[in-house]
Amino acid sequence: MRERFARWDVLFVQLLRRDWKKILFWVLGVGLFSTGFVPAFEEIGKGQGFRALYETMQNPAMIAIVGPTPVDRAEDYTLGAMYAHEMLLFCGLLAMILSALHVIGHTRREEDLGLMELVRSFPVGRQAASLAVMAETVLINAILALAIGGMLAGYGEPSLSAEGSLLFGASIGMGGVLGAAVALLMAQVMPASSAATGASLGIIGALFLVRAGTDMTHESLSMLNPLGWTYLTYPFTENHGVPLAFAAIFSFLAVAAAFALEGRRDLGAGFLPEKPGRVAAGRSLLSVHGLFLRLNRGVILAWMIAFFAIGASYGSIYGDMQTFLESNEILRQMFTAAGVSIEASFTGVILLVTTSLVAILPVALVNRLFTEEVRLRLSQVFATKVTRTRLYWTNVILAVLAGAAGTAVSAGGLGAAAAAAMGEGAPLDIGDFFAAAFNFFPAVLFFAGLAALALGWSPRLGRAVYLYLAYSFAINYFDGVANFPEWFSGTAVQSWIPRMPAEPFDGAVFAAVTAIGAALMVLGYAGYRRRDMAEGG
Amino acid sequence: MSEIVIVRGLQKSFGRVKALQDVTFSVGEGEVVGFIGPNGAGKSTTIRILLGILRRDAGEARIFGRDVWKDSLEIHRRISYVPGDVALWGNLTGGEIIDLFINLHGGGDRRKRDFLIRRFELDPGKKAKSYSKGNRQKVALIAALSVESDLYILDEPTSGLDPLMEAVFQDEVRKLKEAGKSVLLSSHILSEVERLADRVVIIRQGRVVETGTLEELRHLTRTTIRLAVEGDVRGLAAVRGVHDFRAERNQATFSADREHIHHILSEALKLGIRNIEAVPPALEDLFMRHYES
Repeated sequence: MRERFARWDVLFVQLLRRDWKKILFWVLGVGLFSTGFVPAFEEIGKGQGFRALYETMQNPAMIAIVGPTPVDRAEDYTLGAMYAHEMLLFCGLLAMILSALHVIGHTRREEDLGLMELVRSFPVGRQAASLAVMAETVLINAILALAIGGMLAGYGEPSLSAEGSLLFGASIGMGGVLGAAVALLMAQVMPASSAATGASLGIIGALFLVRAGTDMTHESLSMLNPLGWTYLTYPFTENHGVPLAFAAIFSFLAVAAAFALEGRRDLGAGFLPEKPGRVAAGRSLLSVHGLFLRLNRGVILAWMIAFFAIGASYGSIYGDMQTFLESNEILRQMFTAAGVSIEASFTGVILLVTTSLVAILPVALVNRLFTEEVRLRLSQVFATKVTRTRLYWTNVILAVLAGAAGTAVSAGGLGAAAAAAMGEGAPLDIGDFFAAAFNFFPAVLFFAGLAALALGWSPRLGRAVYLYLAYSFAINYFDGVANFPEWFSGTAVQSWIPRMPAEPFDGAVFAAVTAIGAALMVLGYAGYRRRDMAEGG
Repeated sequence: MSEIVIVRGLQKSFGRVKALQDVTFSVGEGEVVGFIGPNGAGKSTTIRILLGILRRDAGEARIFGRDVWKDSLEIHRRISYVPGDVALWGNLTGGEIIDLFINLHGGGDRRKRDFLIRRFELDPGKKAKSYSKGNRQKVALIAALSVESDLYILDEPTSGLDPLMEAVFQDEVRKLKEAGKSVLLSSHILSEVERLADRVVIIRQGRVVETGTLEELRHLTRTTIRLAVEGDVRGLAAVRGVHDFRAERNQATFSADREHIHHILSEALKLGIRNIEAVPPALEDLFMRHYES
């Protein structure tokens, strides 16, 4: 038994040496993100802020996005309760995704790249590498948990108790461990590392959707959901430790299963079989755009399904919104007074979420061109009559079209489900949804443009665009709650765009942001033409 | 002489593709065995099975008398491996990677490592991502040769090296042989195999089609003879044992079956031999013959 994992400690130390910079960014990034919004929330808390917010948060739409809270009365909605309510699910999700990607990157992906073969020829246990990676990831998440707990408690806020802070940190850390465990299991089953990544993210996404449903209706069912265990600890309020225990047991079982499978597996293969392919290329493949479409087919399809599913699940809430509004006098006054239906104002928030998600796809597609370059797959293409111009613009236009398609699909899902839920006499029709969603399209173009700029001038920064996307998303997301000063929220592109259908369409802003996005792409092109291609980089 | 590597009736399938049908061969102590065959024949698959990276479907595979899958850890303590395609961690330097590999093996000779780095002319301070294919190969070679092993498994170890480094490599393998180590060398560079190998194993379509010393294998092929005679050389074309006869004025080139050499030469003597050249069959001819058959 010990033979399986022999010398894992050497590999573990090696991993830490190789990854220390990444670990630093990870812990600091997620840590600061998870704890940095406290002052902003304190601002809202002044006066009756928390109570008003409590009412808003009872809206099923908000519960679907953010999760539930155990607090029953508005008076008990302290800063701690609110912070946990707003932040925990999201941060846990972030930790989960990062851990999953990290684990697959160091196991299956390295296998696929041939790095593992040589390591396996040494007197190193067959599964030493997997154990080393899991240990590293658990360690990182433990450090993260402590860092978050410490930082939160360090604020000295009365409602941010030490116990609660630690539980908050531990919940996020445990989310990371869960993500790692699921990823390790998928790495054994799927035929390639990209499939393993897709499957892990898909599972996490599915868990999110299921949890959105159960949180709104049967909260107890959320306890069966692994993702639920990250936020049902209710720090600062009820402080349950039990969900963490569930998470730990589940993770342990998943990892044990993964190890059992790995012990029987050939290096480089998964348990799901590969299907044989075509002997000759079909006509659709025989062109630059055909090639790119084919390369990205899986990714695009997967995201489209995700966009539709997310749109539809948010759309199904619209029916509940009316009932919710009718049950609450205060809110009814708030919203009818403003002359805007509750559905309209929430559409803006939901579309912010979906737009940021949709933007991921074009960024990924643009970045893909660089990945292909680094992997030397484009070497031969560079020597043909296919110009750089053609490569660049085909890819960028594909990204833009994918972004547009994604916007349409998510709006379609949202609108169709909402229309079905609201029934007769709905304040919004499907056209409104499409219009509102496409109103945000320039933001998608902006991010695609940023990625294109990076591709042309400093392609390794392509990944940083995701960071900026996440940052912008967070700013907008919390702006509604925290009311940031203009200049601060202005750092996120989406805030420049008015939130339809509640606010009127602003043609000038639409054109301006579109123009900026296009300009970024052209600038990127200029750089792409000039720079050295990463051969053997 | 004990058998260091024993492979019997090895079988391996990937899905529906049968990569190895029946592979049987052995490597003795202090022997250098050349493992050759066309692309896709199953060489790397066999080697991966020996390393416990792939799990065989049937058959026996033992190194040092132990099962390659179950006792892989024990076995790996005493072997060195150089893969066909060397992938390295881009952000570590060559020197760091060599030291890591030596460490993972369980320790090696520091002076030998330094000596080899100089001999192979490798710059150990550069990051691995900036190495050319040949340099990556050198990293793996140096790491493998710096440790004390009893069996060296080399899978196309010199495919990216220049002729100078190829010569260095061959010299180092010769030293291993003199020290009594065993080597399994898989290579497409037949001159390399010819120079280094004691025995050759030829694999094709997942089956071992020929094994034996070069001497033994040469018996199976024909000697190439170039003759210049006084008389009409074309008369020799019909002689038994003469194949692929080509004549140019009075000079003829043909392949001769070993068992008929005496008869052929007697016939040639009648014509009056002016000049004669006999070239032993090259491994390449041997190889090609197995391709065609």
